[in-house]
Amino acid sequence: MFRTDEIIKASKLPPEGVAMSRHIDYIYFIPILFVTIVGTFHMHFDLLAGDWDFWIDWKDRQWWPIVTPITAITFCAALQYYNWVNYRQPFGATICILALLAGKWVTIVAAWWWWSNYPYNFVMPSTLLPSAIVLDIVLLLTRNWTLTAVIGAWMFAALFYPTNWAIFAYSHTPLVVDGTLLSWADYMGFLYVRTGTPEYIRMIEVGSLRTFGGHSTMISSFFAAFASSLMYILWWQFGKFFCTSYFYLTDDRQKTTKVYDVFAYATLAHGDKAKAGGKA
Amino acid sequence: MNAKHVFKQWVMGICGVATLAIAPVVDITPAFAHGERSQEPFLRMRTVNWYDTEWVGKSTKVNDVTELKGKFHLSEDWPRAVVKPTRTFINIGSPSSVFVRLSSKVNGTPMFVSGPMEIGRDYEYIVTLKARLPGHHHLHPMFAVKDAGPIAGPGGWMDITGSYSDFTNPVKTLTGETFDSETMGTATGIMWHLFWAAVAIFWVGFFMIRPMYLIRARVLAAYGDEILLDPIDRKVGTAVLIFTLTVVVVGYLAADARHPVSVPLQAGETKVKPMPIKPNPFVVEVTHAEYDVPGRALRMTLHATNNGAEPVTIGEFTTAGIRFTNKFGATKLDPNYPAELVAQAGLTMDSEAPILPGQTIDIKVESKDVLWEVQRLVDILHDPDQRFAGLLMSWTEKGERLINPVWAPVLPVFTRLGA
Repeated sequence: MFRTDEIIKASKLPPEGVAMSRHIDYIYFIPILFVTIVGTFHMHFDLLAGDWDFWIDWKDRQWWPIVTPITAITFCAALQYYNWVNYRQPFGATICILALLAGKWVTIVAAWWWWSNYPYNFVMPSTLLPSAIVLDIVLLLTRNWTLTAVIGAWMFAALFYPTNWAIFAYSHTPLVVDGTLLSWADYMGFLYVRTGTPEYIRMIEVGSLRTFGGHSTMISSFFAAFASSLMYILWWQFGKFFCTSYFYLTDDRQKTTKVYDVFAYATLAHGDKAKAGGKA
Repeated sequence: MNAKHVFKQWVMGICGVATLAIAPVVDITPAFAHGERSQEPFLRMRTVNWYDTEWVGKSTKVNDVTELKGKFHLSEDWPRAVVKPTRTFINIGSPSSVFVRLSSKVNGTPMFVSGPMEIGRDYEYIVTLKARLPGHHHLHPMFAVKDAGPIAGPGGWMDITGSYSDFTNPVKTLTGETFDSETMGTATGIMWHLFWAAVAIFWVGFFMIRPMYLIRARVLAAYGDEILLDPIDRKVGTAVLIFTLTVVVVGYLAADARHPVSVPLQAGETKVKPMPIKPNPFVVEVTHAEYDVPGRALRMTLHATNNGAEPVTIGEFTTAGIRFTNKFGATKLDPNYPAELVAQAGLTMDSEAPILPGQTIDIKVESKDVLWEVQRLVDILHDPDQRFAGLLMSWTEKGERLINPVWAPVLPVFTRLGA
């Protein structure tokens, strides 16, 4: 079914090398790469979009669909660069969001439920997994990061609101308390006391997007899609920057050259400096 | 690194581990307070002057409904360093949501969202609470000011008995459904998260079952990506793409059909009218104030005039939720007010006699107690503007209470009187 045998043959590794490479795959992929993404991306995301994702009464139709995808696509783009350019693996975004949600659920269970006693529905996170899967598949099908930035990143943001409406639609059910109309999400935010988070901290439809004919969600999603495209390009380049290896070579004439061919370093280590230096 | 150095590091490491292991056995006293004493005195004394605070039903069972209520005066001496209260919210300071807050009214107006309040005016709040988590809890009313932060009021203890597993909070919506705030939407949310996680794990797993990194990197470097791009990847990718988009659309439409009536999050502004200004025939002005550092006493000289028809007796000075009373004021105290916040016999005057109608008098008032130190109000002396503010409570002969806001600069006295 797969081309695995052909690929292994082309790698010219002996059977022991193949077996070892699989061990490295598992050791590197789960305990190192995945956990590193959990730690770094979770922190990055919570610092920038944390409150929108923590609290049900922050999930408005303007800022939530803008802030969340724009913040989340960052690491997805960088990880896509790393996985695609070095290995042609199209799961950088999916693994990124899986790791984010793993961190999220650890926080929800340990910090919000066990430590702070807030119910799960009050701190239910949004999901970006369908967006990430689509982003990865667009990269796989187009094999082109520019097209992925235009189509995939756009879909990444546009899919966010409809995906999460399935989880949070109920929270917009209206109710009346003390003669005041509230959404269920508003009342949840009021019911569950947060000493350090008074109501005015929320950003609910603040800004001029609301004046665009009342279609806040559509306009916010469109804007988020546009901004996500730009953010994707920027973070793809970050990925490139951090994945590019090079070293500086100073030859016998004291001329320093930046060398990208890292395989040459091994040659240099074996005393062939002059030759390599001359070529560089 | 020699053997001695390694040994030293081992010993230090073992000591560290031992300390961590022993610490919970030696002392696991839980912390109850919210750091209210850490708030600077100028915040607690010169912004919100709390009074008549009541923790109704100090012992409740899970699901019982109770109240935290009281009044506050927004001080005329509002500090320059604190943003004016143009956007405020009455909150509760509690260790998590030990109660759920069913309702909150300020001067009879429901306060679900924030709103402006006026300096120099009084407000009455009633917060209705439903007991949720069993325990011995310390609760504060809080006045949150946008860009200034929460300002804690006096803290009192409330006990909740029973079991959390019995807690329910059903609420009827406008669509006629009943939602329980503890559980509504949880199962749906978890189901969707698990579903999408399964799809994502399938997607990543589809590539994990084949060599992932080292082999592919070698092949890519040697031959480019033609071998690596397996045709089946594109076929499965297309199928997963169609499946994902279909589920998103179906999920969206299903949720929309299940909850056809929806409103956006509501975030207007609460307009609260302050309490009407009550005529007060007793006029008080602070002409001099000093804080006796070694004596732990705030002394003020009041220039007071009684323009009323009845004699007036001063009984209490309150600031930052701390109450200094004399013998007369002690008789007016709510016995349920936290004793640790009351200095009974902490208020003395050079003349305890009632101020007669038409009389103008200069009175020296001293509020003296270790509470100045314990509550960390002495730190006023480290402020860039050394001032105090509070409320002076007096009563007429018929028992009517008169409240006078007082404020003034404070001069420090660093030596004992007569020394």
